[in-house]
Amino acid sequence: MIALSVAAILAVFLLYTSIAGGGNPSISPSDLDGRSDTVQLAGVVVGPATGDAHADGLRFALEDIDPASGASVPVLYTGSVPDLFKPGRHIVVTGQLQDGTFVAEPGSMITKCPSKYAPKQSDDPA
Amino acid sequence: MPELGRAALVVTLGLCLYALIGGVVAARLGRRRLALSARNALVAAFGSTVVASAVLFAALYRSDFSFTYVARTTSEALPTPYKLSAFWGGQEGSLLLWLLVLTGFGAAAVLLNRRWTRDLVVWVVPVFGAVATFFAFLLVVVATPFATQAAPPDGAGMTPSLQNPYMLAHPPLLYLGYVGLTVPFAFAMGALLSGRTDERWLVATRRWTLVAWTALGVGQLLGAHWAYEEVGWGGYYAWDPVENAALMPWLAATAFLHSVMIQEKRGMLRIWNVSLVILAFALSLFGTFLTRSGVVNSIHSFTQSSIGPWFLAFIALTVAVSLAVLFWRLPLLRSPTRLESVVSREAAFLYNNLLLLALCLAVFWGVVYPLLSEAVRGEAVVLGRSYYDFFLRIFGLPLLLLMGIGPLIAWRRASVRSLLTTFRAPTAAALLAGVVLLLLGAGSSIPGLVAYTFSVFVATTIAMEFVRGTRARKALGAASWPAAFSSLVSRNRRRYGGYVVHASIVLLAIGIAGSSAFDSVAEGRLARGDSLQIGGYTLVYRSLDERLAANATEIRATLEVTRDGRDLGMLQAGKNAYTIEEQVSNEVGIRSDWRTGEDLFVIAEQINPDASVQFRVFVKPLVNLIWLAGLVFLLGSAITLWPDAREQRRLVSRAAEIGLPASR
Amino acid sequence: MTLALVLAALLAVAAVVVVALPFLRDPEPSSDTLDELDEEERRRLEQLEARDRSLAALKELEFDHRTGAISDEDYRTLVGPLRREVARTLQELGDGAGSSEDRSREGRPTGGRTS
Repeated sequence: MIALSVAAILAVFLLYTSIAGGGNPSISPSDLDGRSDTVQLAGVVVGPATGDAHADGLRFALEDIDPASGASVPVLYTGSVPDLFKPGRHIVVTGQLQDGTFVAEPGSMITKCPSKYAPKQSDDPA
Repeated sequence: MPELGRAALVVTLGLCLYALIGGVVAARLGRRRLALSARNALVAAFGSTVVASAVLFAALYRSDFSFTYVARTTSEALPTPYKLSAFWGGQEGSLLLWLLVLTGFGAAAVLLNRRWTRDLVVWVVPVFGAVATFFAFLLVVVATPFATQAAPPDGAGMTPSLQNPYMLAHPPLLYLGYVGLTVPFAFAMGALLSGRTDERWLVATRRWTLVAWTALGVGQLLGAHWAYEEVGWGGYYAWDPVENAALMPWLAATAFLHSVMIQEKRGMLRIWNVSLVILAFALSLFGTFLTRSGVVNSIHSFTQSSIGPWFLAFIALTVAVSLAVLFWRLPLLRSPTRLESVVSREAAFLYNNLLLLALCLAVFWGVVYPLLSEAVRGEAVVLGRSYYDFFLRIFGLPLLLLMGIGPLIAWRRASVRSLLTTFRAPTAAALLAGVVLLLLGAGSSIPGLVAYTFSVFVATTIAMEFVRGTRARKALGAASWPAAFSSLVSRNRRRYGGYVVHASIVLLAIGIAGSSAFDSVAEGRLARGDSLQIGGYTLVYRSLDERLAANATEIRATLEVTRDGRDLGMLQAGKNAYTIEEQVSNEVGIRSDWRTGEDLFVIAEQINPDASVQFRVFVKPLVNLIWLAGLVFLLGSAITLWPDAREQRRLVSRAAEIGLPASR
Repeated sequence: MTLALVLAALLAVAAVVVVALPFLRDPEPSSDTLDELDEEERRRLEQLEARDRSLAALKELEFDHRTGAISDEDYRTLVGPLRREVARTLQELGDGAGSSEDRSREGRPTGGRTS
C-alpha cells in the first residue's frame, strides 16, 4: 500500500516537471546569443538607467557577473522596480531577446543583496 | 578582547572533541568516570561558548570597529537593539549563535536526563559532541567572528530592511528550531548505538521536539509577516530557496510528531521514526547550508563562500553514518505489530506522513532542480511559483481534509458504517458552506473554494470533539460547563492541545486561500487629487511629504480611503532613503479591517519628480487570519507542552519498578 | 591584551578542571563500570512499556466511546482484543515479578542509584 502511494506520488512529479515544464533556463548575457526562447537572465546592472518603468519602460544594460567575459545586452523593463535596483547590483529578470534588446516580462525583476542576510524583492506573483 | 573570543572558541573545540572521543570510549568500554567527564566537557563547552558570545556582544555594543565583523555589520548611528542583533546578521556570528544554542541545548538535555536514562545519555553525549565539533571547527578555522583590522572611523551599517523588530526575533527563533531538532536526533542515535529498543528516547525528547517544531513554525510566520510588512512586495511567501530551507525540516518534523504517536500507542513504525528524525535533522543542516553557500540562486544569497563545501561534506557524512547505524540495528527495531486496516487512525497518520513527505520532497526538488539541470543539461532551469502552487494544492488540500478525519477514526480498525455516522455532520456542514460560498462568488477559484470547504469540515470536527468531551465530563459530575471544559483539557492536554493546533492550521488555510485565491490588484499613476478604485474601496491621493529622520529621509504619500461613501481614514505609503547605506526601502501602507480580516495594501512604487506617484494597490481578503493562526498555534503548543503531573508520576513509578532512580 | 590572555588562560584551566572532576573526586573507585541496564532489566522495561501502552489504549477507547466518537458497535469489536492484550502484558510482567527481591539477594543495587 505504501509502495503504491509512493509510486503514484512520483508519477505526479515526473509528469508535472516534464510536461508542464514550469521552469525557465537561467543564463548569463554571454549565453544569450541568438536565443529567442523565454529565459531568466542573471547579471549585473550597468548604468545609466534611463526611462520610466511605469511609462515607456526602463532601459539599462546587463553584463555578465564574471567581468572577464565582457558580454553586455540592453534591457527594456516595465513593471515594479525593486528598491535595491541601481547600477552595480546583481539582478535576475525574465523575458526574451527581441531584435537585440532583451524585453523583460513586467514585474519579473528580482534583485540580490550578495553580502549579508538581506531579503529584497519585488516579485510579481502573476 | 578578540584574543579572548578566539581562545574561548578553541577551548570549545577542544572540549567538544573530548566529548566526542571520550564519550565514545566511555560508552564502548562502559567507563563511568570517563562518561561523566565527557558529559562535563559538553556542559563546559556551553560555558566557553557563552564567553565567546559575550565577547562578540560586548564588541557590538561598544561599536568596536577593530573587530572586522562589527565594522561589516553595524555602524555608529545604529540603534542599540539592532547593533546587538547584528550578532546573527552575518555569516560568522550566525554560526556562533548556532553553536551557542547547540551546546546550550545539549548541556540541558543531557543534564536533565542524566539519572533516569544514564546508559542512553552515555551515547547521546558523543553525538552532540560530533555536531558541535563541526561548528566549532568552522568557527575556529574557516569563519572566525574575531578577525581584527585597523579600526575604520565608522562601520558599513546594517541593511535597512533588517532594522525592524522582526529581525530581533526571526533568526533566533529559527535557530531554536533548527538546532532543537538535534536533540531528538542525538537521542535517537544514542538509542540505536546503545542497542536499546524501548521508547525511552521518545519520551525524553518529546517536549524538545515540540519546542523546536513550534519555534520553527512561529519563526517562519514571523518571517512571512516581515516580508509582508517590511519588504512590501504584496505577498508573504515567495518559495525562495531560503524560505523553503526552513519549511522542509518543519514538514519533516510535523510528520515525525505524528508518527511517534503511533509508536507510542502501538509500538509500530520504529524504523520509520528513526529515519524521519534523521531526515529532519539532515534537512535542518541542509537548510543552514542553503542560506549560506550561495549555491542556489536566491535573493537571500551570499557570495560564493568557502563554508558551502564544508557543510555539504558534513551533511553527507552525517546521513551516511546515521543510515549505517540504523542499518546495523535494523533487526532490533523490527516490530511484530502490523497495520490491521487501511481504515484506522494508524492508516490516517500514515497517509498524513506520506502527504507531508511528498510536499517536502516537492519543495526539495524545486530547490535543487536548478543545480541538477545545470549538471545534467548544462543549463540551470529555475522552477517558478506555479510549480510550488500546484504541489501545495495537490498535497496540501488532502492533508487539510485528513486533519479532520484522523482524530475521529478509531485505532486499529474502524467500520465503514461508523465512519458514515461520525462524519455525517461535518460533511453536511462542509457541503452547505460550499454551496453558500459558491453563491457568494467563491467559484472564481476552485482550489480556494475547496480549501474553504475542507476548512469548514475540519473546524466542525474539532468543535464536535470539544463539545462531546465537555458533555462527557459534565455527565461524570463536573460542577459546571466551564469546569467540565477546563478539566477536559487539563486531563487530556496532548489531545486537546493538538486540536487547538489543528484549528490554527485551519485558520492558516483559510487565510492563505483568501489572500491568494481571492485577492485583487490595481495599478495607476496618480497626480494629486486623482483616485483609484479597487474591491469597493476608493483611494484619493492627497499629498506628498518629506521628513528627515535620524538615519534616513522619509517620503510619504498620503491617501484618503473611503468605502461606500464612508470615510475610513488616511493611509500613508512611500519610501525611506537611508543616508549611510545609500539604499532605498519601500514603506507600504496597510489598512486592516478587523471585522473581515481583510487588508488594503498600498505600495508607492515610484515617486516622480512632478509629485505624481505610481501606486500599486492590493485587496487581500482574510489575510489577517494567517497572523491570528500564529497566535492560536502558540496557544495549542503551550497546552500540549504544559507539564503533566500525572504523566510524571506514571513515568516515575515505571522507573522504580525496574530499580532505576525516580528523579530525573 | 594581557587581560584577555589572563582570562583565556583561566578559561582553559577551568575547562580542564571541569573535565577532570570525576577523576579528581573519585581517584580510587570501588567500581568504574557504567551503570547500564542489563538484559533482564531491558526486557522488563519493555514489558512495562507494553503494559502501559495497552492500558492507555484501553483507557482511550473508553474515553472515545464515552464521548461518542466511537460507536457501540465498534466499541464492542475493539474492547475484547484490547482487554485480552492488557491481560497478556500483565501476565508477562507477573512472570518476571520478584526480580527486585532477587537482585537485592544478590547484593546488587535495586534502586536509588545515584550519580
